[in-house]
Amino acid sequence: MTKAIDTSTNGPGDLPEDPGSGPVPARAGRRKRTGGDAWSRYASALSTPKGLTAAILLVLLIGVALLAPVLFPGGYDQQARGALAGPSAQHWLGTDEFGRDILTRTVYGLRTDLSLILLAVPVAMVIGTALGLSGYLSKTLGSVTQRLLDIILGFPGLILGIMIVLVIGTGWLALFLAIVVAGLPGFGRLARAGLLGEEQREYVMAARVLGVKKSTVMTRHILPNVVDPLLVQASVFMVVAIFIEAGLSIVGLGINPPNPSLGAMLNVGARYVQSLPTYVIGPGVLLLLLALAFTLLSDALNQVANRR
Amino acid sequence: MIRFLIRRAPSVLLVLFATSVIAFLLPRLVPGDPAAAVAGPDASAETIAAIRADLGLDQPLVGQYFNWMGGLFTGDLGQSLRFNRPVAELIGDRLASTLELALLAGLFLVVFGIGLGVLAGSVRARWARVLVEGTNTGLLAAPPFLVGLLFILVFGVFFRVLPTSGEVSVLDDPEIGIQYLVLPALALALPMSAGVARLVQTRMLAIRQEEFIDLAVSKGVPPRRISQRHVLRNSLGPAVVAIGIRFGDLLAGAVVIEAIFARYGLGQLAVSGAQSADYTVVQVLIVFAVFIAVIGQLLTEIVLAALDPRVRLG
Repeated sequence: MTKAIDTSTNGPGDLPEDPGSGPVPARAGRRKRTGGDAWSRYASALSTPKGLTAAILLVLLIGVALLAPVLFPGGYDQQARGALAGPSAQHWLGTDEFGRDILTRTVYGLRTDLSLILLAVPVAMVIGTALGLSGYLSKTLGSVTQRLLDIILGFPGLILGIMIVLVIGTGWLALFLAIVVAGLPGFGRLARAGLLGEEQREYVMAARVLGVKKSTVMTRHILPNVVDPLLVQASVFMVVAIFIEAGLSIVGLGINPPNPSLGAMLNVGARYVQSLPTYVIGPGVLLLLLALAFTLLSDALNQVANRR
Repeated sequence: MIRFLIRRAPSVLLVLFATSVIAFLLPRLVPGDPAAAVAGPDASAETIAAIRADLGLDQPLVGQYFNWMGGLFTGDLGQSLRFNRPVAELIGDRLASTLELALLAGLFLVVFGIGLGVLAGSVRARWARVLVEGTNTGLLAAPPFLVGLLFILVFGVFFRVLPTSGEVSVLDDPEIGIQYLVLPALALALPMSAGVARLVQTRMLAIRQEEFIDLAVSKGVPPRRISQRHVLRNSLGPAVVAIGIRFGDLLAGAVVIEAIFARYGLGQLAVSGAQSADYTVVQVLIVFAVFIAVIGQLLTEIVLAALDPRVRLG
């Protein structure tokens, strides 16, 4: 019921805003208010215990990753004397097989992981959503994209990754593409489900009858009403993306050495797990914290989305 | 059943066809000359030309595709570019290792998934509920490789009761082989079984609210029988679907698990193939993996119909 009330502010209320059909000042005022509503709604997700924990964790993790060059001015390639030395005052997690500080490399690995997911997930979200909503422009286009997404869905994430590596070789770009392609079906299906739900509602039909262009209806009227589940999915998919990076890197199809990533650290660390458990524990814990943060964030966003 | 299979055939065939085309096109999507990439930087022009001919790159595209597909159907899977051996032989060597892992993991997935779910859906005591839910949530959040690494840490460093690296074929030596198999299979199955358990649990709780349960209780059906015949049987449908759609994930997970536990299965073959641009091997493995996943989903629907008489195939 609350949903119906809420859509009325975004839906029919929007109608006079279309070009030429309403006074300009009113349009500007209303837009500002709906935009502010959305933001304060998402901000309220951060005031829940889960959302707050997620925010603190993310600020810490992103902060440490951003400050890596300041915290560890030597860079991730600086070699010390002893290789595979245990934890000490200088090297909290010990040194790796080349005598490089594991903690430094872990933090730089976190940078790599964050740079990947924070770029790839939004890209997947935008393309996936566009594919999902494309069914509104033409029925054929819609069913073709759905078939396409079904086929992508048929490939388990890691197999997609193997295929991409086979074509373009290992490295950051392959991981980026693997994450984007793996994410398309999730966003595409959610967007299409939202589209099918909203398409038949009165406000959409009214907009069409008033002569609003299909593409405008899609972006201005339908999109705002399906954006909530997409944001939750983005947060959920961040976790999946982290695990795609880690999975591909662990088997040796990830970031090229000597660049570190959390998964690449686990790949090498697993070989020395008996003599130097901290090699695996450090990156493993960061990976878990990252996954935990985004899981909590998605829970918090989900609560807010369901409240409307 | 036959009618059902015929009805499903078009979509199944479409997926398989699309997969085969994608797998076929992969080497041809490589920027530059795939033959040169295979030959390596120091190869002479003749070597590259020979590899072009080997790959069939000098023939028209459609002809190449049908040649390749014909080979798949007749068991001629081509020649590995790196090992210079037939792909079929390479796969044959590694098949048993992955099959053992997938079968035991599949068994664990069914047992733990349904077991944990039923437990979580039926325990009454508060502490037990919290314990089961906690275990479940923890597993739900952890991907197979983290569980695997945890196992290696715990069993490889602290309690050395089970081997964490390497493998012995179960067929050669059942007793030792199983020991090598238990941890990888558990690491692969446990995170997925948490998802299945969650479904079974929610479903059981929902079924208990249904009117036919009230009716059974008022008829005086003993609680045990209600649990088994009325609640459990109705709750298994989603579990079967959940297990069926995880077939593909099971295979993909096996790739990582094999790497962590140093097993030489098909996953490792695919990974080394991708690293060394051994196109012919990876192509076949991709088609193979998707084929298994599709068959898994078909089987799921058949089992589902057997469980629930309201679902009619056809």
